[in-house]
Formats: sequence, structure tokens, C-alpha cells
Amino acid sequence: MRRIFPPLLVGILFLSIQCTLLALFPVQRIRPDLVLILILYLSFSYPPVSGGILTFIMGYLMDLFSGNSLGLYTFTRPCIFYGAQFFKRYFYLESFSSQFLFVSIFSLVEGLLILLLLTAFHPHSVHNLYLLFFTSFIPQSFFSGLITPMFFSLFNTGLRYLFPQTGMEVREGGQI
Amino acid sequence: MRIRSFFISRRYTVSGFIIALLLSALVLMSLRVKHRRGVEFFDAFLMELFSPFQSGSTFVIKTIRKGFQQYFFLVNLQRENAFLKKQISDLQQKNHQLHETSLAYGRLKQLLHFREEISFSVIAAEVIGQDSSSWFKSVTINRGERDGIQKGMAAILPEGVVGQILKTAPTHSTVLLITDYNSDIDSIVQRTRAKAIIEGMGENRCLMKYLLRSEEVIPGDIVITSGLGGKFPKGLVIGEVKTVDRKGHGIFQYAELVPRVDLTKLEEVLVITEASPPLPVENEKGKKVKNKK
Repeated sequence: MRRIFPPLLVGILFLSIQCTLLALFPVQRIRPDLVLILILYLSFSYPPVSGGILTFIMGYLMDLFSGNSLGLYTFTRPCIFYGAQFFKRYFYLESFSSQFLFVSIFSLVEGLLILLLLTAFHPHSVHNLYLLFFTSFIPQSFFSGLITPMFFSLFNTGLRYLFPQTGMEVREGGQI
Repeated sequence: MRIRSFFISRRYTVSGFIIALLLSALVLMSLRVKHRRGVEFFDAFLMELFSPFQSGSTFVIKTIRKGFQQYFFLVNLQRENAFLKKQISDLQQKNHQLHETSLAYGRLKQLLHFREEISFSVIAAEVIGQDSSSWFKSVTINRGERDGIQKGMAAILPEGVVGQILKTAPTHSTVLLITDYNSDIDSIVQRTRAKAIIEGMGENRCLMKYLLRSEEVIPGDIVITSGLGGKFPKGLVIGEVKTVDRKGHGIFQYAELVPRVDLTKLEEVLVITEASPPLPVENEKGKKVKNKK
């Protein structure tokens, strides 16, 4: 429970901020995806079962407060979590550039996955979204990556505070 | 041997869990595609549970913004004498309060006038949150099933159409905006009476589809709802034609539409709760169309 609830509360807080404060940004294209940053951090520091449950719940909540009626995020968020877990050994998350690249790449991968699923479910009405991928989603991924180091450092501090003895935090080579 | 078998079984347990989790997400998706009832109840319950976080967040942001607006201009007056500082502070505070009240009064007066003018019954709702993702365009409002709101009801403003209700919970609902790619509205060009379907393009733009090439449509033309489909009453303004694309072959032409309502700055919406007879509008020959009840 101690492992599940704190990140879940942070996820709900991030989701609320994403729906309210970040929606006030004059330029919507640079609105970063805070929940995705949290999920990618969890992929490094949480085991598959508890992390999977957390990302599933966060994806479900994302779907609730979005115009998406299919429940895409409930599927894509755990996929991204497990994908990141699979590839984490290839990333050295010490530097700014590696953290930036890690989040930007996975954000773009999720975008492509959503496009793929939407094309499968609505083959006739998603052509407008291909344009949105370039005009809105790539800048968003870029800015999500840009603010990642700050959030990763905050999460590390939070984990150190929550689990002082286990030392769960992102270290060099994606080790925890 | 035992230790080895333990690790093998644990590995399989984790893999099984991952597969089960992803499969359950796919099952949920397929349930939503088929519009089954069980998921709707669960969605409504969770939405009800987590909407207060959005309401709270909106309240905090509004309070901070108000405080910031009230005191921001006083920072540079620190060096001036206390009496003038206090006087200016009070006056500015009053001025900001009056300005904010005046803006709110203007908006509400406009809504009230519109409400009196229209023939259908509406419920006013406050926008408490925007869409959590960049792909979709929706807003969350603080009215739900208890206020009589149901799926598919139209959300409007005096300026024009906003969208339609997508999800409902007892005290909150989600409005799918007309700019979302999932949104389709049957429409008419006001000047020529040409029929078309308005589809969302994201980023505050819509696309006019199935508009016959033989119809003359020019930038600046106003597009209104046709009343077909029963969700939107006839004659509500959707937006203005920005560009017309006649390139290519085929029987249709396409046009880009700018919604009349600024959907990026929504604060309140009106939800039409009761169906009504269509508004009297002129047909292509300028004759009045009789309302049929």
C-alpha cells in the first residue's frame, strides 16, 4: 500500500494540474505530459506488478477526463511502462540529455501507438490527427523531455524520503 | 532445483500478470466500443470520485490568479509613502473586484438574455477542467445526471455551438468539443443553404465535408446547424468559413471552418436539456419554413 498510494496521489495531482493549470498555457502545443513523465520514472524504480497496476489506474483516469471514448490510455500507458522497463538497461539516465531523450522518445512512441489504435478503430476519421502529430504532438514531446530532469530529481528525493533504507531511485544505467 | 523452479514460476507469474493486465485494457476498450453498460457505471463512479480534485485545483488556481492580479501592481509602489500606497491598494483592489464582477455580470447577463430568447430549456454549467491529452478536445463541467444531463445533449453559448455531452456522472459531465476529431454535426451554409457535415480537426478548427462542388461557398460564410439528428436545434451558429478547397476531382469540395465560440477560453456553457421545435429559418428561396410539432 505504501508503495502504491504515494505515486497514485502524485499521479492524480499531476492529472489535475494537466487538466487545469497547464490548460491555461497560451501555447497549447507546449503543454507537457506530466503523468507520462511519472510513469516513465516508475518504469525504472518500480517492479512490474505494482508499477503495472499503477500505470493501468493512471491510464484509466486519463481516459475519464479526456474526449477519448475508447479507453486508449488504459492500454497505452501500461504498454509504455513495460516498454520502458524492457529498454531501461540501454539508457544511462544520469545526464540531462539522456533523460530528455528517454522521455521524448517514449512520448513519441505513445503518440504513434495512439495513432495506430485510432486508425484501427476509426479508419475514416483520423486523417486530421496525422497533421496534429506533427504540429502538436512533437512539440509536446519535446517540452515533456525538457522538463523531465527537474521532475526526475524531485521523484528521486521523494523516493529517498519514502523508502530511506531500500534506496529506490534512478541511478546510472537505469539501475535502482 | 527448487530454487530454480521457483524463479521460473515467478518469471511466468510476472509475464502472466503483464499479459493479463494488457488484455484487460483491451477488453475494456472493446467494451467501450460496443457501448456496454457495466463500464459506464464504473466510469461514472470514478469520475465522481476524482472530479473534486479538478474542482479543487481550479479553485486554487483562480484564487491565486485573483490574488496575483490584485497585488501585482503594488510591487513597484513599495517606496512611496504609506498613505498613498494604502489608498492606491484599496482603489486597485476595488477596481479589480469591480472589473471582475463586471466581466462576470456581462457574461451571465448575456447567458440570461440568450436563455430567455431561446425556445428550449437549458442548464448553465461551469467548466472545471480541460482535456488531459493533446489528441482529444473536451472539457469537464460541474453538472451531471442529477441535474438532468444525459449523453448526447448539446452544449452551446450565445455565440454558437460548443459541443455535446460525451460522458456523464451524477454531478459532473464531459463535453466533447466540436473541434474534436470524433465530433460530427449536420450543418447548413446560412447564405446558400448548402448542406455539409462539420468534423473536428483539433486546434480550434473544423472541416466541412460532403459539401457538393456545385455549391458556391466563399470565405466569411456563416455555417449553422441543420437540426437533423435531433441533438442540436436548427439555426445555431457553428462558425465561419475560413478557406475553401476546390482542388482535386470528385463531387465534393472541402472548407475549413473557424468555430464562432473561442473554445480555448471556455468558462461557462449552456446544456440543452429539452428537445424543442426547430427555429424558423428561411429556405433557399427566402420563404419561411413552417414549424412542425
